[in-house]
Amino acid sequence: MSRPLVALALVLCAAFAAAGWALRAGVQGRAELVFVNGSEPRSLDPALLTGAPEGRLADALFEGLTTREPSTLQPAPGVARAWRISDDGLRYEFELRPEARWSDGRPVTAHDFVFAWRRLQDPALGAEYAYILHAVRHAEAFNTHAASAEALAGPVREALASLRRRAPLPAADWQRFAAEQRLGERLHGAGGDFLAALLSRRGGALGAQELARAEAELAAAAARLRRSADTARRHFGVDEGVFARSDRTLVVELRAPTPYFLELTSFYPSYPVPRHLLEAGARPDWFLPGRLVSNGPFRLAEWRVGERVRLVRSDSYWGRDAVRLASVDALPIENATTALNLYLAGDVDWLPSPSYPVDLVDDLRLRPDFYSSAGMVIYYYRFNCARPPFDDPRVRQALALAVDREAIVRDVLRLGQIPAYHVVPPGLPGYAPPPSALRFDPERARALLAEAGYGPERPLPAFGLLYNTAEIHKQLAEVVADQLRRHLGIEARAYNQEWQAYQASMLAGDYDLARAGWIGDYLDPNTFLDLWVSGGGNNQTGWGDARYDAWIRAAADPDGFARAPGEALRGLREPEAMRALLGRSAAAGSPASRREALGALRMQLFREAEALLVQEAFPILPVYFYVVSGLVKPSVGGFYAELVAADGTRRPNLQDLHPLRGLRVRR
Amino acid sequence: MTGALAVGFALATLAAAPFLPAAAIRALGGVFLAAPLVVLAGERRAAGFAAAALVAAAAGRWLPLRVLRRSTWLLPSLVLLVFVTTGLMYRAPGSPFRGERVAAPQVEAALRAQYGVPESALAFFGAYIERLLADGSLGPSLKVQGRSVGELLAPAIPVSLGLGLLALALAVAVGLALGTAAALRPRSAVDHAAMGAALLGISLPNFVIGAALMVLFALQLGWLPVAGFAGPRHLVLPALTLAAPYAAYVARLVRAGLLEVLQQDFVRTARAKGLSERAVVLDHALRGALLPVVAFLGPAAAGILTGSFVVETMFAVPGMGQWFVKGAVNRDYSLVLGTALVYAVLVATLNLASDLLTAWLDPRVRDER
Repeated sequence: MSRPLVALALVLCAAFAAAGWALRAGVQGRAELVFVNGSEPRSLDPALLTGAPEGRLADALFEGLTTREPSTLQPAPGVARAWRISDDGLRYEFELRPEARWSDGRPVTAHDFVFAWRRLQDPALGAEYAYILHAVRHAEAFNTHAASAEALAGPVREALASLRRRAPLPAADWQRFAAEQRLGERLHGAGGDFLAALLSRRGGALGAQELARAEAELAAAAARLRRSADTARRHFGVDEGVFARSDRTLVVELRAPTPYFLELTSFYPSYPVPRHLLEAGARPDWFLPGRLVSNGPFRLAEWRVGERVRLVRSDSYWGRDAVRLASVDALPIENATTALNLYLAGDVDWLPSPSYPVDLVDDLRLRPDFYSSAGMVIYYYRFNCARPPFDDPRVRQALALAVDREAIVRDVLRLGQIPAYHVVPPGLPGYAPPPSALRFDPERARALLAEAGYGPERPLPAFGLLYNTAEIHKQLAEVVADQLRRHLGIEARAYNQEWQAYQASMLAGDYDLARAGWIGDYLDPNTFLDLWVSGGGNNQTGWGDARYDAWIRAAADPDGFARAPGEALRGLREPEAMRALLGRSAAAGSPASRREALGALRMQLFREAEALLVQEAFPILPVYFYVVSGLVKPSVGGFYAELVAADGTRRPNLQDLHPLRGLRVRR
Repeated sequence: MTGALAVGFALATLAAAPFLPAAAIRALGGVFLAAPLVVLAGERRAAGFAAAALVAAAAGRWLPLRVLRRSTWLLPSLVLLVFVTTGLMYRAPGSPFRGERVAAPQVEAALRAQYGVPESALAFFGAYIERLLADGSLGPSLKVQGRSVGELLAPAIPVSLGLGLLALALAVAVGLALGTAAALRPRSAVDHAAMGAALLGISLPNFVIGAALMVLFALQLGWLPVAGFAGPRHLVLPALTLAAPYAAYVARLVRAGLLEVLQQDFVRTARAKGLSERAVVLDHALRGALLPVVAFLGPAAAGILTGSFVVETMFAVPGMGQWFVKGAVNRDYSLVLGTALVYAVLVATLNLASDLLTAWLDPRVRDER
């Protein structure tokens, strides 16, 4: 045979051999339920994972003290079969059920929870979601105070010492120093009144004496933090904060009454981990198939990276009779078109939000298997309040008034999203949002700009509108830029950066306006409002206000606030309402009614805080509240796009949670 | 320190290579070819060194000089590749330890210590080379917890390789057929049709071809699966998509080459001798026309490997392309370096194979001894 054909035959043989070798892993059938899970899960360690794809799997593999009832998403008994809450709302006693077992047969004990919660707060672990349990006494101290104390006594103090030589220091430089050194965050509210007042100084200059005192106060704060860290290390997980009274009784002490605490115990950072496996030192791959020991309704059968994660019903789960699915496949497909094609071909039963191509929403919306629900997510633009001209709240308000949100929602988004004139999404139980000064009013916007000194003779300089690379963000940015041009005559240049670069820009304050989104972690206004405290890590606008900080701090400790309102009474918009509520809580007869009054007080404080944001300060430009949507086959039962309460009332499934535990497939 | 040494050594070797006499090239080339054996041997050092010495000697003695010359470049090039990639990754904004929500500085410090990712690119590079030489390990993935880079790439390499080689084989087969048919009937309807198809294959981007094939064969006709990787049927559409542009190139190359060869005197002699047309074309003419195709196989393989990023994402094939993209987006330094290394070695090997094949087929290009 001629050489070329031999060569060709060789290549062909090599090709088929390689293909065969690649496929040798074998063909297998699909699971009972298959869904597209977005990206490849990066971890299944409940303390370390973040993100909805990992969360769905963690909720199936593990179970916390409480679990979520699928039709209402209300906390229901999980590992804990009953609990007692003290009258002041500060002490929870959980009674664990004896049938709760790990997948290797050992019982789940209170010691597992103590170990898991202490591990979550361990600074060496670097858990991103550690802050979710900072309501527990000593938790924040254990997690952060040692490192902050070290920083304050060390590099921060040195930086301040060198700054002192430049006294008198302009307030702008002081603010920049505070932002760079993350003073607000590192002081953890323990800085004292002098530093708190100094941190909100924005005008004038700081004299040498003030700076000297600041340095001394920093040292004192560092000492205080070191002490609290030591106390926490000695007591947290031992006999205070969270501890096991017996194998089956877990006691949790909170810093302040937290009405949504039972939601946090249904959230994956609080899940138990097998102490008997991890105590001697966890292997970094302890959560991989064949090694993972879990206590949830499903166990990990297989994890083929890039291909699928397979879960099967667990035989050791106490409630296994109620679990209807025998097996579930989670596919890590990021390409929206491929995901949709798989769904249309019947290979996938559920496409969670937002796994389908957004451009097709008009056609998909008409399908009977399409579902949508308001989501607890806000889409907004951050102003760089440290950079002129956005350091003037009138300019910020003008821009916010010139955006036609109704048009955006109607013409660009087209899915029934809700235009946002507030910072907290609607539908949070117990919270009444304040009136907002935001609306579509280009005339008033122009007037505001004129007031701030900008007009046809002195136009607002061109600025950049930053967004992270995605088609939808590009469309929105261009529409917003166009609206600003038409109504205010200002040039906004939309530009994009890839995700990491965009985050770095925002962190460094290297932007004018930047697009952002925020998903609430739990059903309480705090998750949207505590972002904006001065120097908060996720603030990144350079805006801060002592009144706002005082109100958020007061809301975290309403009891302390009720006893000694102090700073937080300054600048209220609805002082009579606040006074009435204070009176109510003082006059409360029983502890239960006092707790209720404090709860209402808390909501009023949040109302004041949000009012500051949407009536006076405008550090962000809210655009719309998300709608979560997806496709699910009619054969999938137990799926609640809308939550149904016991009395029949319907509520949107704001958190878009559909526990696998409650799903079944009708064939 | 290790880093600077490695870079210096690489640059020195590359600079000196053109001036080395043949004997030195044989020695150096053999050593470099055999060096990975030491790394792969892991703990069995003595055995590794012995095997490497044997292989080095044998390679130096018997392999053609062109191969050995190439391998003197390969190792230093890989070292420089790792160095430049590390430098570029460190310069990119962001870091592997920045999550969606801003983490406290102590969290980032703890993670850096845990994963061994210093702030300096040179330090990271030095540590990486040391670990590679000492354990042959590509390190832990920084973002996919609990998995090492080797663990992630090991199942993905055969998938990408299998898909790529299948695509290559398809490209050659289809291209050969089309090109030959076109060349044997120049300027006929067959010729125009074949070259028109070739033009489409070259001009349309592979995600357009892939989408069209998916819609037609998977969604409309239902003959083939939409995506995924669970059986031989799942390979067909991705392989076709990858192969299309290269089949087109090969068709044009074959047509041009064959047309030229068919004019030559020895073909007229063969025909005059009374050989059948089939014998003339297959046994005599094709060999000459195939040379450019075989030479093209090297760059084609490289192109298929890089084109696979898009195709693998589209057809949800768990190959290496996804790791390259995910690693870059997530700033997973070890994963990006690992995939870059694997790709570089694959491309170099395929180019080398293509060279050897060319030499075997064409007596004019045989080695200089």
